[in-house]
Amino acid sequence: MRMAQSQFKSVWMLAVSAVFFSAPVAADREPMDWLSHMGAAVQSTSYEGTVIRMQDGNAEALKVVRTIVDGVILEKVVAQEGNGLEIIRKGNEVHCILPDRKSVLVQEWDDQSTLFSALPSSEIRFGSEYDVAIVRKERVAGREAVLLAIRPHDGYRYGHRIWLDTETSFPLQTQLLGDGRTIEQVKFADITLNQEIHASALEPSYSTEHYTWLRQPSGHASTHIETPWKSDQLPAGFRAVATHEESMGGSDEPIIHILYSDGLTNVSVFIAGRSGELVAGPARVGGSNSFSVERGDYEITAIGQVPAMTVEQIATSMQQP
Amino acid sequence: MNDAIREQLSAFVDGELPENEAELLLRRMGQDARLRQDVAEYLALGRLIRSEPGLAGSDRLHEQIAAAIDDNQGDAGEAVHGASPSRAIRPLAGVAIAATVALVAIIALQQTPGGNELPTDTPLAVAKDVVPAIDAQRERQNQYFLSHSNSSSQLGANGMISRVVTLRFSEDVVVERDHDEAGLADESIEAAAQP
Repeated sequence: MRMAQSQFKSVWMLAVSAVFFSAPVAADREPMDWLSHMGAAVQSTSYEGTVIRMQDGNAEALKVVRTIVDGVILEKVVAQEGNGLEIIRKGNEVHCILPDRKSVLVQEWDDQSTLFSALPSSEIRFGSEYDVAIVRKERVAGREAVLLAIRPHDGYRYGHRIWLDTETSFPLQTQLLGDGRTIEQVKFADITLNQEIHASALEPSYSTEHYTWLRQPSGHASTHIETPWKSDQLPAGFRAVATHEESMGGSDEPIIHILYSDGLTNVSVFIAGRSGELVAGPARVGGSNSFSVERGDYEITAIGQVPAMTVEQIATSMQQP
Repeated sequence: MNDAIREQLSAFVDGELPENEAELLLRRMGQDARLRQDVAEYLALGRLIRSEPGLAGSDRLHEQIAAAIDDNQGDAGEAVHGASPSRAIRPLAGVAIAATVALVAIIALQQTPGGNELPTDTPLAVAKDVVPAIDAQRERQNQYFLSHSNSSSQLGANGMISRVVTLRFSEDVVVERDHDEAGLADESIEAAAQP
């Protein structure tokens, strides 16, 4: 958002004033309460619907089904374009079905990821770098929703808008905003909430009997370490929350991975021995920005769903005392 | 895609489309693969513009586009209650400006190297020589992205949408390994017993 600071403050104060002095939306619930309820809703809600996801100039429709049976999460996601990718989840085991390759990729997910768990757990959520406000009520996917705005205080991070179903607090739409544009939008075109879901809705659409089954390890081998590497110009609010040494394919040398978080957004810094193959500078990968730089005998890459200047500042400010 | 749909889409991306029209647009997108393709191509304009590789004048071009979009984005300046009656018609003027500038941008950029997954500052004269390095760099970037996504998931910061993105990357791995006869023995992808 290219807006002078004074303009931003004025508009923000106007917005805050309007919240406090006009007829309140959902007067019985504070913005943070809505987010807490959302956290519970994304874990416990059963739903079936069509999601439209727009990111980086791509529009994608996904049919999604999710329910919980005896404490086990069951999910199915079917991509409506391209190769017809299907993701079937039973608990922590995930089958990624690639019909065009006649392959099934098996993964273990060791977390409680859900379709819309787009925010960190509440205990680390939000330092002083964001404001969260109730904006207004709207209708999304035919349901009444309350719009929450999470606005960053500076240009080092993106803002969010989240439309929560007023009845269940389930997020019906999310937007990631920054650089004067919508970076990613995820919205239900249609949805049914907490209705009975038949087992057949969670079964694969293809017979995988003669498919090649491949198993992918749950992640890179990693070990927690202490490292002298740190950024001497870390944007306000970010702090190191994890440091690991990881092994990755194509490299014999372990790579240092430092994860920074401002409580809402994460940036990873990878420090590897010099390979001579580094293409320094900015890049885009998977909808995230990255920036790579050489520093002595090391190659440093910062990556995250943050503005380009954030990863550049972090990557170029990494120092080893 | 006709002009009406294009304007609707621009307004929708900016969060300015009236809710009833947004509902209709989304329902159509959910059912119409051709429309989704058109939408993807339309949105690719923005991607093309944003990945401008530093051609003469492109910075100014980008600023013009950004300014046109900012004028209508309405994020920080979001009306809280009682939105201005003029709010609904404002985006259309901005879209017209942005579309005009975008057309110029496409003409200016159509001969530049494609692929926004690559660094955008590679000089054209040396691009051929650095292709192997770029391939290696892309593979390493993908590994970094997957590792970052996994770590973020530990904090509860990534949902299945991100998982879908990372699985797209995994698909690439599978495709590459399928082309490689020794692929199944690769340590990163192992043959799994069929249940």
